[in-house]
Amino acid sequence: MKSSLAVKATRFVIVAMVFAVWELLSRTGMINPRLLPSASDTIVTLADLLGRPGVRSDILVTGAEVLTAFVIAVPFGALVGLLIAESRYFAEVAKPLLFFAFSIPKSIFLPMFILVFGVGFAQKVGFGFFSTIFIVIMSTTTAVESVKPENLMVARSYGATPAQTVWRVYLPSMLPVLLEALRISMIFNLTGVMLAEMYASREGMGHLIANWGENFMMRQLLAGVLMVAIIAVSFNELVRWVETRCSHWRT
Amino acid sequence: MQPLANITPIKPAARAGAVQLGGVGLVYKTSGQDVVAVSDVSIEVKPGRFAVLVGPSGCGKSSLLMMMAGLRHQTSGAISINGAPIEVPDPDRVGVVFQEPSLFPWLTAEENVEFPLTLRGVSKQERRAKAEEALQLVGLDGFGKRHPHELSGGMKQRVSIARGLVQDPPVLLMDEPFAALDEQTRMTMGDELLRIWAATGKTIVFVTHSLTEAVYLADEVIVMSARPGRIVDRLEVALPRPRTFEMLSGDAFGSLRDRIWRHIRKSA
Repeated sequence: MKSSLAVKATRFVIVAMVFAVWELLSRTGMINPRLLPSASDTIVTLADLLGRPGVRSDILVTGAEVLTAFVIAVPFGALVGLLIAESRYFAEVAKPLLFFAFSIPKSIFLPMFILVFGVGFAQKVGFGFFSTIFIVIMSTTTAVESVKPENLMVARSYGATPAQTVWRVYLPSMLPVLLEALRISMIFNLTGVMLAEMYASREGMGHLIANWGENFMMRQLLAGVLMVAIIAVSFNELVRWVETRCSHWRT
Repeated sequence: MQPLANITPIKPAARAGAVQLGGVGLVYKTSGQDVVAVSDVSIEVKPGRFAVLVGPSGCGKSSLLMMMAGLRHQTSGAISINGAPIEVPDPDRVGVVFQEPSLFPWLTAEENVEFPLTLRGVSKQERRAKAEEALQLVGLDGFGKRHPHELSGGMKQRVSIARGLVQDPPVLLMDEPFAALDEQTRMTMGDELLRIWAATGKTIVFVTHSLTEAVYLADEVIVMSARPGRIVDRLEVALPRPRTFEMLSGDAFGSLRDRIWRHIRKSA
């Protein structure tokens, strides 16, 4: 599924236009520039912010929290998902329960996380983990189910050992779904960590953004929003690139 | 359709094996009840012969094939291939060709064909050479680098057949391999299979629910009835080889097909 040059060009034009309209609305005063600083001002502010050691350390703090939560949640969730999918009985028992848990907005548990973990690193990682784990478990069970019984039968009929079956059938079958799961998990994880930071924190990007908002520092606020957006989109695109490379055979 | 007269067997029948089933039965439980899927089936297919199992859906013909492949266990009776019982899948003795969707979609055609060799740790060079030979045999020269989604239904089944043949097993078991194909492709694939069979001299056991396909391909048609699956008739197809499209409208062909149809209508 390669998009043509025309599609890419149109996409670029749309993004450029959003920025152009933003610039125009602010410059002409149609929207009060104090409420909506212009795009160019925001980008200049962003560059300025990135140069400050304080902001950089906040980015690192958030990065560390997000990564830690991710590195714990993904293998743990994948393992639980595998164990559930391994047994039809467990899968039947656990699936609706997982859907129940998944449907509850995670943000309402945030005050409890603060009571238990305080407002430091552990609270952010804990809440990021909590926001991510259900989607990882659910995606992994889906990934296991995406393995076609016909393919397992072929492996068996040619005498594959259990290890060979895992390596040569399960893993390649599951890989596209797993990568997609990874990508979506990161969205949930990032949302969780940002929320935790904005709610109660002394450092981190979420803390900065919340602070700028409360103090009506619109230029910094928008620059912060832009920065988090760029980081999130970059990660998403990176995994999507790996995804398309690994699943070109999917139709 | 061309008569395939220019065929010289490149492998003698020494690489063909006998298939023997004695009093084979299969009983399984569903919600506490015993279901007799297959009852007292005895078959002997001599080396190099083309046998077709035909019957209405639910007659257990596919289950029977899975048992011959060692993928399922009979609850009574004995199955032997090349004179030795088959209990677990043995790719040295048996190659299996399944219905259409059994290729690994993430592997290329040649990697799919190499798969059985990969499992046994055969060197890449040897694998490639054997896969190439097998692909050539099934008429897919030059398509080795394609992925299954880039191949037509007929070509995919050719790849499956090449995969079944790559280890040169004496027996090839085929479970409705052309069921998902359109009529024209199916006819072509039938001719192709006969050509491959003539060239390799394998013993083939082929499952189908198409009466025409059964008579067209077989030396011997084994007719099964439904629930419990048992053998109701055995026909020698004395039509000369190579089989041609014209035979389909002949009297001999018609009467064989009618005879099978009467059995199936009775049990359906």
